[in-house]
Amino acid sequence: MLYNEKAPILFNEEAGAGIWIMTLEAPEIAAHALPGQFVHTRIPGMEGHILRRPFGVYEAYPEEGTIDIMYQVLGFGTEHMTTLEPGDEVEVIGPVGRGWQPPQGCRKALLVAGGVGSAPIHPLVCQLKAQGADVTAILGAQTEEALVARRRFGRALGCEPLCSTDDGSFGRAGFCTPLVQEALDEAAAAGEPFDYVACCGPEPLMKIVARMAADAGVFCEVSLEKRMACGVGACLSCVVDTVNGKKRACVDGPVFPATEVVW
Amino acid sequence: MARKPKETAVNLAVNLGGLPMKNPVTVGSGTFGAGMEYADFVDVASLGAVTTKGVSLNGWEGNATPRIAETASGMLNSIGLQNPGVAHLKEVELPWLAGQGATAMVNVSGHSFDEYVAVIEALEEAPVAAYEVNISCPNVDAGGMTMGCHVPSVEKVVGLCRAATKRPLIVKLTPNVTDITEIAKAAEASGADGVSLINTLLGMAIDARTRRPQLARVVGGYSGPAVKPVALRMVWQVANAVSVPVLGMGGISNGTDAVEFMLAGATAVAVGTANFANPTATVDVVDGIIDYCERYGVKDVNELIGALEC
Repeated sequence: MLYNEKAPILFNEEAGAGIWIMTLEAPEIAAHALPGQFVHTRIPGMEGHILRRPFGVYEAYPEEGTIDIMYQVLGFGTEHMTTLEPGDEVEVIGPVGRGWQPPQGCRKALLVAGGVGSAPIHPLVCQLKAQGADVTAILGAQTEEALVARRRFGRALGCEPLCSTDDGSFGRAGFCTPLVQEALDEAAAAGEPFDYVACCGPEPLMKIVARMAADAGVFCEVSLEKRMACGVGACLSCVVDTVNGKKRACVDGPVFPATEVVW
Repeated sequence: MARKPKETAVNLAVNLGGLPMKNPVTVGSGTFGAGMEYADFVDVASLGAVTTKGVSLNGWEGNATPRIAETASGMLNSIGLQNPGVAHLKEVELPWLAGQGATAMVNVSGHSFDEYVAVIEALEEAPVAAYEVNISCPNVDAGGMTMGCHVPSVEKVVGLCRAATKRPLIVKLTPNVTDITEIAKAAEASGADGVSLINTLLGMAIDARTRRPQLARVVGGYSGPAVKPVALRMVWQVANAVSVPVLGMGGISNGTDAVEFMLAGATAVAVGTANFANPTATVDVVDGIIDYCERYGVKDVNELIGALEC
């Protein structure tokens, strides 16, 4: 079931490095969102830009009836979003899409997030921790300031996530992929391999992580992003090439088993 | 909650070339699937008709991505008529629409004259109220717009489709021609019960930073509020040139837009790109037509058709 809610903004502030967090009052979506699903937002005051914008749900609070989304200022739309204030109203369709589908009884998971890809990974951390899984999370960003999800991940994990920054200002210097390989290798060497890898971030990162997981023989899912129009599965704009033909990122995804994706 | 239009004493029923519609609003083919994706938002049976996504005989894979680009007050698409084929439509979408009580108009596509006929023949026993023959898609190499730009090919494909069915046959026209009235007249003379227009305008968008086109196929179809003045002009021209009814579309996103198309001569209208921003756009347009009629004392929506004063 999809809802189209007129959602008042409760909070809209920069978390760091041009990455913002927006809290929306959207009780139906908050009550029904599953980890990895997204909302399709119609932003007020930009009627000349006729398409909605999709954002992964960063956190849903069913009791408060609110959701958080994360956005990075990249173009006209996201720049305009920073000017919105509490009380302004965003229209949100959601919760949309096929979310993360970790294996039944997932025991040990490796979750990898690049940049604002941390948003749809965060609810998965919470879900797997609640199920008692052993969760390792890796966050990659350009700078320390851009590691905006680090503390929220820390709270969900009960420990610090592994971090990398491109400029070496925090955690491992460089891309996060060496951390991923090391985690996979160490788990295998200890005789306790991961049984699930999930990744969301830039497509090159997801492609590399998918290959590492495949080499290690671990089931892997990725969350793909494509230019989207309707966001409900009708227009066929956001298709992804898969081994089963073209699939819609919006409703057949955004999460796909990595082995189904034709990179 | 799926919405339906408000109650009214205004007569909203129109007849589009033998297709009775409970109100003058349908959807632009390709913007609404077959309605299933919008069923959480609108009661598809409450629309004048649901025009389904273009269907070919055995299905097409469509074009590479990126398939869309946002432009000022509009968008470009080059989906390329991706569809699973007519058998899937018969097995899944048409029974679903019938179960909802919806009026189905099937948009028929083909790469060849024979394929259009084969699609219609495959649907003759199915619950279909009317056909919309798509000779105007700008995003395929064969068929589509290439067939809709010249009088001889228009006459041939419409004549063949006419011979294949007694059901209402609406022919969807491209605006990418020198004189759309010539094409409309050819369709009428070949047996069309109505014409629908406009399909998208051929356009392109460029990313100056990367020096690359924004669409994988370089060019695509331009739609949205930006094209409305072009669409209105063409509907007005065509309505004055043919005697069959016109299904008007192009940038309609509210009831006032729809009324303007009817004043220009459209018997019915289609809501297309607006569905993407507003999933209840179709019902909002019907409500807006009702508001207009009630406000201006219009008792029958048919009074609006061609009532432009000029």
